[in-house]
Amino acid sequence: MPRSGLTRLELLQGTLDMIVLQTLRWGPRHGYGIAQMVKANSANALQVDTGSLYPALHRLERQKLIVAEWDTSENGQRVRVYKLTAAGRRHLVSEKSRWEQLTNAIAAILTEPAEGET
Amino acid sequence: MNAEDEIREELETHLRAAIAERMAHGESREDAERAARREFGNLTHVSEVTREQTYGAIGIWLERLAQDVRYGLRALRRTPAFTITAVATLAIAIGANSAVFTVVNGVLLRPLPFVDADRLVLASYLPPDLPFEPPPGLADRNWLAYREHQHSFSAVGAYVRRAATLSGAGDAFRLTGARVEPGVFAALQVPPIRGRTFSREERDVDNVVVLSSRLWHERFGSDPRVLESSISLDGVPMTVIGVMPPGFGFPAESDFWTPLTVQLNAHNSFILSVLGRLRPAVTAEQARAELAVIMAQMPPDPKDPETKAEANMLPLKDVLTGRVAGSLYIFAGAVAFVLLIACVNVANLLLIRAASRRREMAVRVALGAGRGRIARQLLTESSIVGLAGGALGIVIAQVGVRALLAIAPAGRIPRLDEVHLDGWVLAFTIAVSLVTGVAFGLVPAIQGGRRPPREAMAHGTRTVGGATTRLRGALVAAEVALALVLLTGAGLMIKSFIRMRAADKGYDGSQVMTMAVDLPSLGYPDATRQKAFHARLMDGLAHIPGVRGIGAISWRPMGGVGMMGDFVVEGPSPVPHGFGLDKTLVSIGYFATMKVRLDAGRDFSVGDVAGAPKVVIVSRSVANRVWPGQDAIGKRVSMETDHPGSDSWMTVIGVVNDVVQDRSMEKHATMYFPIQQSDWGFILGHMTYVVRTSADATTARAMRAVLRDVDPTVPAQQLMSMDDALMDVAAEPVFQTRLLSVFAAIALLLAAIGTYGVLAYDVAERTREIALRMALGATPANVVAMVMRRTILLAASGAAVGLFGALALTGVLTKSLYDVSPNDPATMLVVVLAIVGVALLAGFAPARRASRVHVLTAFLAD
Repeated sequence: MPRSGLTRLELLQGTLDMIVLQTLRWGPRHGYGIAQMVKANSANALQVDTGSLYPALHRLERQKLIVAEWDTSENGQRVRVYKLTAAGRRHLVSEKSRWEQLTNAIAAILTEPAEGET
Repeated sequence: MNAEDEIREELETHLRAAIAERMAHGESREDAERAARREFGNLTHVSEVTREQTYGAIGIWLERLAQDVRYGLRALRRTPAFTITAVATLAIAIGANSAVFTVVNGVLLRPLPFVDADRLVLASYLPPDLPFEPPPGLADRNWLAYREHQHSFSAVGAYVRRAATLSGAGDAFRLTGARVEPGVFAALQVPPIRGRTFSREERDVDNVVVLSSRLWHERFGSDPRVLESSISLDGVPMTVIGVMPPGFGFPAESDFWTPLTVQLNAHNSFILSVLGRLRPAVTAEQARAELAVIMAQMPPDPKDPETKAEANMLPLKDVLTGRVAGSLYIFAGAVAFVLLIACVNVANLLLIRAASRRREMAVRVALGAGRGRIARQLLTESSIVGLAGGALGIVIAQVGVRALLAIAPAGRIPRLDEVHLDGWVLAFTIAVSLVTGVAFGLVPAIQGGRRPPREAMAHGTRTVGGATTRLRGALVAAEVALALVLLTGAGLMIKSFIRMRAADKGYDGSQVMTMAVDLPSLGYPDATRQKAFHARLMDGLAHIPGVRGIGAISWRPMGGVGMMGDFVVEGPSPVPHGFGLDKTLVSIGYFATMKVRLDAGRDFSVGDVAGAPKVVIVSRSVANRVWPGQDAIGKRVSMETDHPGSDSWMTVIGVVNDVVQDRSMEKHATMYFPIQQSDWGFILGHMTYVVRTSADATTARAMRAVLRDVDPTVPAQQLMSMDDALMDVAAEPVFQTRLLSVFAAIALLLAAIGTYGVLAYDVAERTREIALRMALGATPANVVAMVMRRTILLAASGAAVGLFGALALTGVLTKSLYDVSPNDPATMLVVVLAIVGVALLAGFAPARRASRVHVLTAFLAD
């Protein structure tokens, strides 16, 4: 089976959930909209595989971090729109702080030896 | 709208939006669609992985199962011929298995219907090498000591079986019952439903009796006034003090219980059965050790000080069911073979079906169904077939159990009233259905999952699957092998049975009717009155129209009972050590009526009366053992082995053939005494009459009428033909033979159907090839030969494997076979020829169809 939507940068395990939640902070959105927004906001560097995106959306929904409802789009189509819940918002905050700690720590490791080498 | 459809709609919206956006950027519709789809990936796959998140793992599993079941039912409905054949085949096989399991469960597996039945044991202290096999028990003197000193049991009691004639309540009737000590009821912990059981003070002379619920109901109309009134047993009035609950018949099918009083007798020792309930903390092994210790302190038996006995504690259930356990396990094994064959058949059907569904499966693979998914779908279908077969099988099992019990020998299988459908039987059937469903579905499922879709799509149903054809062939060979094992078993049993019937038994029982009586000691207290009864009865029997001969004998052949004893001979040469013989009383005319050949000397005659010189007739092996190389006629013997009195000597006047006495078909050394000269009241009280006649049924009625005229309180027992008497002692082997034959017949039929099915499919699959061959000059005879060659190859390879299986397995029948080796070559040959013959028959129709293939078929599209 062809896996078309390969990510140009491999997403770290668990980061997709955070990205989806972050994307929904700017308002309710359907699946395609989320994918497009991630692509645009990462300057085309990240492309989300639908085989990962939709399972993530339904998983987050089961965890009550987002809610979904059917809506009608501007061109009259039935679309399933996702919205961040209060729990999701809290979850996003804590995930982001964990993420920052992680990236800072990694950055520290990656930059430190350069000083010692000389 | 269900969740699956919702997800699909959501994903399609996504796809449409992507296409729309690409078109908005100026791509053509076609380009946009292709690119968007490539970017999106496999829609079915995405939908599935998404759904897994919606429900969690178990939810998705259940949902898929429901989907598979729906799809499977639809697929099965599309092919009714397959579905009906497969379900019916399995229903028969599962039904047969469930029926046998129902009996095994009721008789062997279910606990006995007593409180904590596994605490009940029988104590035994007997020499291991007695000439006969007594039930476990203790000699009376040992029992009295053991009862005094044991601490293993919370309750324990001795019992012996007995029989008695009930009179004064309908026709006189022979009952079986038991003498029991109060400890037996205490150990069983079964209270009576009316009245009471025996107290410790009650003795056999108190003439009290406890009745079974069945007897109370059938003979006394459940009348509560029977309690404390009296009934007549062997002519003795007995006070009824209690009635036991329905189903209680300890030790087996007892209808009455009287108190047992153990008293030592200077001359005789009796073996008593001893039932005890182990104390809560005591194990059977501890109880056994205690018994051994107590017995070791006993003074040695003065009569037989050398005897070494073994202490044993046997679970009550094993003793009650031990005799039939072997038979039942053989049946269970045989019927499992039938199930295996049925599975092979259905597996073959599934393979054939899978071949014709290749295109359907390929399409599903192309649509994104994984191989595991396809395999699971096929397994679901086969499980549905298995469960449907099981559901129908339960119905068949109910009929089957009734049929099984109908052909079971009466009174030979214990606990029959406990045989019925219960939760365990249901669980067994469901488990068997599921396991078979998965087992026969596994092969096609693996095959189905493996098939490369592109090839299958292209070739459709015409792909010649070499591997599949070989596999089907192997399955046919396997079922031929399984059927051969069962057929061999049945063949051996049938041959054994024929040999047993045809065996020289030393007498000719055809056209002989027989009847036994027991004379109550109250009305017939001495030998004179007993002999008077026999004379009157025989006179009456002799006047029945059509009767050509009449005789009487204390224990007839095939009666399963006899009295063994020793004797001394006059003169220097002693009786060979350990040589015992049957001591039997006969009337004048007995040998002529039973056509027992007189080898030498003369028969008893009217001159051999009391007061005349005492005479005996010996059988051939007595003469050969005791007086080898001499003439036995005129030799003298005495039964008083210690100090023969001068008037105890008897002269041998004749030598007759040896006669077989039971189903072992061994000829017994026998000494015959004339009834007229006998004063052994304890033997004369039981007598069997033989009547040679050509009209069985009317003679039986007339014999009963004669007996009623002589004494209406004496019931007729074992009124039957001698042929039936033989069938009676052979009841278990006959039962085994019948059941094995039925299973073998089913197996053979299933194997034939399986062979036919596979060959017919082979021919259908190769129609084009056959047509081509004929176009190239093959004659119809060539084509027939080609198909038959394959048939023979399959049958012969199956038969070869089956022969090894039979050689390995028929040993379990050794005990049931008479004069036939478990590896009897003649039987094996016949069975192999039979099974190859049946396979050839099964292959003939497909072969003929193949020879009629029209040459043009080769060039027509499918």
